This record gives sequence, C-alpha cells and structure tokens, in this order.
Amino acid sequence: MFQNPEIALDSLPGMQDLDWHKLHPNYASSMRLQLLVVFLGIGVALAALSFVPDISPREAGGFWALFLTGAAVLLIWPTFSIPRRGYVLRDRDIVFRSGVIWRSITAVPFNRIQHVETSSTPFDRRYGLATLQLFTAGGSSGDLKIDGLGNDTAEQLRAFILDKAGATVESA
Amino acid sequence: MKAPETGAWRRTSPFAILFFMARILRLIARNAWQSLAPLFALLVAYQGDLVSKLKLGGVIFAVATTTLALLSYWFFRYRVGDRSILIRQGVIKKKQLDIQFDRIQGINTQQNPVYRLLGLVTVSFDTAGSAGSEGNLPAVSHAFAGSLRARIGNRRAATSDDTAVDYAAPDALLRLDWRDMVRIGLADRRALILFAVLGPLFERLGDNADEVITNYVERAADGAFQFGVASGVLIVAAALSSLILLLAVISIAAALLRYHRFELWLDGSTLRSRGGLLTRHEHAMDLSKIQTLRLEQGIVQRLQKRFRMTARQAMASGKNRRQKIFTIPVVTAERADHLRLLFLQPEAGRLSQDPAAGTFMPVSPCIMRSRVLYLGLLPALLCIIGLWMSLGPSSLLFLLWPVAVAAGAYRSWKRAGYAYDDDEIVRRSGWLGHRTVSLLFRKVQRVTISQSPYQRRKRLASLRMYMASGSVRIPYIKHATAERLRDYILYKVESSHRPWY
Repeated sequence: MFQNPEIALDSLPGMQDLDWHKLHPNYASSMRLQLLVVFLGIGVALAALSFVPDISPREAGGFWALFLTGAAVLLIWPTFSIPRRGYVLRDRDIVFRSGVIWRSITAVPFNRIQHVETSSTPFDRRYGLATLQLFTAGGSSGDLKIDGLGNDTAEQLRAFILDKAGATVESA
Repeated sequence: MKAPETGAWRRTSPFAILFFMARILRLIARNAWQSLAPLFALLVAYQGDLVSKLKLGGVIFAVATTTLALLSYWFFRYRVGDRSILIRQGVIKKKQLDIQFDRIQGINTQQNPVYRLLGLVTVSFDTAGSAGSEGNLPAVSHAFAGSLRARIGNRRAATSDDTAVDYAAPDALLRLDWRDMVRIGLADRRALILFAVLGPLFERLGDNADEVITNYVERAADGAFQFGVASGVLIVAAALSSLILLLAVISIAAALLRYHRFELWLDGSTLRSRGGLLTRHEHAMDLSKIQTLRLEQGIVQRLQKRFRMTARQAMASGKNRRQKIFTIPVVTAERADHLRLLFLQPEAGRLSQDPAAGTFMPVSPCIMRSRVLYLGLLPALLCIIGLWMSLGPSSLLFLLWPVAVAAGAYRSWKRAGYAYDDDEIVRRSGWLGHRTVSLLFRKVQRVTISQSPYQRRKRLASLRMYMASGSVRIPYIKHATAERLRDYILYKVESSHRPWY
C-alpha cells in the first residue's frame, strides 16, 4: 500500500556529532616528501641562477629568502590542514570535510555514485597510501577525492561503496 | 507509417552529399589554418599570375571537397537493429557507431530548404553520456524519422513504469509571431558583441568626423560657412544610429532564420519544439530528463518584460552542449510559470520562477562586504600604491572604483534570493539582468556547505548543489538553514527510488 507519512524536519539525521575518521598518519610525511622533491628542483634552479652575472647578490638573496619562507610555510602547513580533513561513512552517504581557513563539508549519496576509483602515486606507495575518488554525474572533475588513505582502508572503502551503490541501483 | 526495416545495411539518400559537404566545409572553417596551408603552399609554388592561381586553387578546393563528400556518402551506411541503430562511416578511418535505443534521450531533426522540398530530414541522436559519439543520419525520409521516434518512444514506455500523467492534448503550448522575432533579435547578446568588435572601426569614423569638423570650423573662420560643430555632431549621430539600426536588422534577421514559426508542444512526456525559416530545426527533450530550469532576462529583455527559458539535461562534457539545452527564446513570466507547472507536474512546479514573485527569501547582506573588500578596495589600494609615484594625488581617483563596486554589490544582493518547497528550490540572482534557476531536490548529485572565516564568525554558509547539468550555489545563508537544507536534500535523494536521469 502506498504511504506518505509526514517527515518531521527536526528528526532528519544531522551532522552535528559525527565521528570523523582521520587520514593515515603517514600522509603528512608523504606530502612533505613530495614537496621536498619539488623544492629541490627549484633550489637547483636558483643555485644555477646565482651564476648568471647580471643578477646581483642582493637580488639572488631576495629570491632565496622568498623561496625559503614559502617552502617553510608549505612544509608546516600539513600539520594544520591534515587533522582538519576527515570522512564519515553513513548508511546512505559518505561525508568529507576539509579546509583550515575556508572550510567545506561535502556529502555524496551512495545512490548517485557512478563509479569509484583508487589510485596511488609512487610517493603514496612508498608510504602505503592510496587515493579514493568517487564519481557522480555532477561535474567533470573527480567529484570527491580523498587523498592519504591507507592502502587497506581505500580498498575497503571502495568495496563498501561499490556494494552500497550497486544495492541502491537494484532496489530502485 | 512503415516501421524501419531491420537487418539490411542501407545508404541514405544521395542528397546526403549536401550534408557531408556542409560538414567538410565546417571542419575546414574550424581548422582554417591547418587545412588551407597546403593549398596556400601550392599557390605560392605554382608559377603564374594571381588570377589563374586563384582559379586553380578554387578548382582544386572544389574538386577535393566534392570528392570527399561523395566518398563520405558512399561509405556511410546504417542498419536499424532490434535494440540499436548501427552506423558505419569513414573513408580512410572506418568508424562504427552502435547507438542503443535505451540510451537515446531524444531525436532531433533538421531540415534545410532543399530537404524540405524533397521531404528529407537530418536526424541527430541525443544520447546520454559519451560525448563525441553522437550520431547523425543525414537525408532520411520524414516518415522514417517519425517511425524511429515512435519506436524509441514505445521502447521507453515499455521498459519504464512511469506513473501515467494525463497531459494536455497536443496543442501548441506556445507559438511565436513576428513581434517575438523582433524581441529575440533586439535582446540578442551577440549583437552587442558585434558592436564591441565594430567599435574600433567606429572610432575611425569618429576621427574622420573630427577632421570634417575642424575643416568646417576653419572655413567658418573664413566666414564662408556659418554651421560647423553642430553638423559634425549630426554626422556622428547619424552614423551611430544607422550602425545600431543595421545591427538590429541583422540580429532580427538571425532570429527569424532560427525561430520563424516557432512552436512548442508536449508529445506525451516529451517536450518538442520546431522552428526556423530556411532550415527547420526540431528539438525534443524528455520531461523526466530535465535537471534545471532557467529563466533569464537581460537589460533589453527587462524592458520587453520577457524572459528566455532553458531546460538543461545531464551533460557528459562541454561537447555538444547546445543539443542538451532546450531553449524557449522568449516567454512572459506568467507563461513560464504555467509551462514549468506542466513540465514538472505532478511532482513539483508550484513555486514561481518569476524574479518579481514575493516568495523569495533574501540572502545575508554580509555578502556585500567581501565583494567590496576584495573586488573593490583591495585592487584600488594596490593601484594607488603602485601608481602613486607616476600619477601623484590623481591616483586617488581609483577610490571611485570601490564605490562603483559597492553599488554593484548592493544591486546583486538585492537580486539574490531563494525559495523552496518540499520538492524543489529556486535561486534568484543577477546584476544587470535577472536569472532564476530551479531544480528538484531528488535530482541532486551531491551537496557541499562551505564557510569562509568571516562567514564562520557571522554563522553564515554557502550551499552548493551539484546537478548533472552543473551546480547551483546559494551564498550567504544562515549556517543552520544551510545544514537543514542539506540534510533535507540528502533525505530526499537517499529515499528516492525514481531515476534522476
């Protein structure tokens, strides 16, 4: 029989007291290692620059100062940003939060997920990490991307979400 | 009506050569540099005078495109199967397309004047996803297109158990007459762009006018002529108004070409339109595929009290965008509300999408602060600091910029708003014009709430709803409201068993 009970808005599940899962503890190290490789490249370029006769030592010093401060900030930043990131699996959706200064919370219902992808860069593999990407029909860039998950966690999540997404398709 | 034959591979009518010709020419126009380079090289290498060179080039060009069109026609074959339509094409690189009937969202047709005389149409299939593999069937008979359409319609009716809705009889919901053509033409933004392109040219004209004026002034000083500046101004004004008139005429002609005798009607649960002076365009969209409905109004349309209404369906990517947007070029607000009720019934459609409707709730005025700060004050201060050395105190004139930005920010705050009921939400925005977008909660793909530090202090947030046709953002609403809306949207999405596509 068709039923259409009224929904009390206050009784809808909210997100006030969610238990956020943290990312893998190795994630910060992996991020820093990646940054260091990039910085090494820039450092070599800067060192080469100081051999150019037209550039005064003062200018070169300015470049170095700018570079080193930038590098220091970027290396320290994960300490603040990573604890802010987290995800929660609920029965019917996955919620992801991020951002230190500009904060955002994204929720993706399982019955809108089209496919799930896990990937890992060489840096990720060194630290046993993986990235989970969820794709919906909304938008072209990977719709929800969770970096820095443990390999096993990413795999578990992938299987769980695929299972959930498939189940909702069948019941529909 | 004869059902399309199944099984046999068939060629389309030889008049399809016209279609292939047009396609080749379009391709050449799009890659003008690469495709014309060999021809150019040949012209340079070949000895002789310019005229005969051009003649030779023209002949080679014509022969090459005709041959290519002939070959494309010859190698283009199609077969209608039980579940799909197969298309084989390609002269050198063979390509086979298998378009499943299930995936076809709509069948659009185009008819140029030659085809109309012969009763032929070019069919294009609108498929879900996979951009770039959309197929065309050039120059098939009208009856064939109709039977294909019926066939796909039947299939869909057979496979989905849509709750039967009794739609109105297939009378036209909307017909556009010549006055509407004038309205469309005048409101066309492309005319403005053309004006911007022609602007520099016009400046030239102004320079010439200056010369004329100084000429007259000199003669006036001689005492021979008594009129001077006045006639110069007149010349400029006449040139300007004739240019504007010309643009308006071109633009109205374009509207007539595209939308002459535009008709809109509902065919079961499919929205269809037809129109065009030389080439008749027929466009179809399934009502259940609509993701967002938009009502837009520019400055000119505001004076006309008319809107442009578009229905968008899911897009795979930027390709083939135009086909995925169903356009009603000119419509009044009341008519638009009536139409949306028809489109969305029985589920939704009760909200008004008229920007003047009293149902819209305002967003927080705090939205103005960041705009004035980052778009107004910050650039102005940077300019003043940067240019103080060279401009001196006159660089303080940059302070007028934040004032202008503030005025604009106030205007767009006044126009921002949102309204919702149990099933849908309408967002209103605009700065010069008006725009309202509506969507069904259950078709949302994902939701994001974001907060800047300032918004956090003020307990505000922005809510973004991602649809398969793009995202809709409601900025600067109360954080609690945003959360409540999000939770409600998630509930609607997660408890819905109806397909969103």
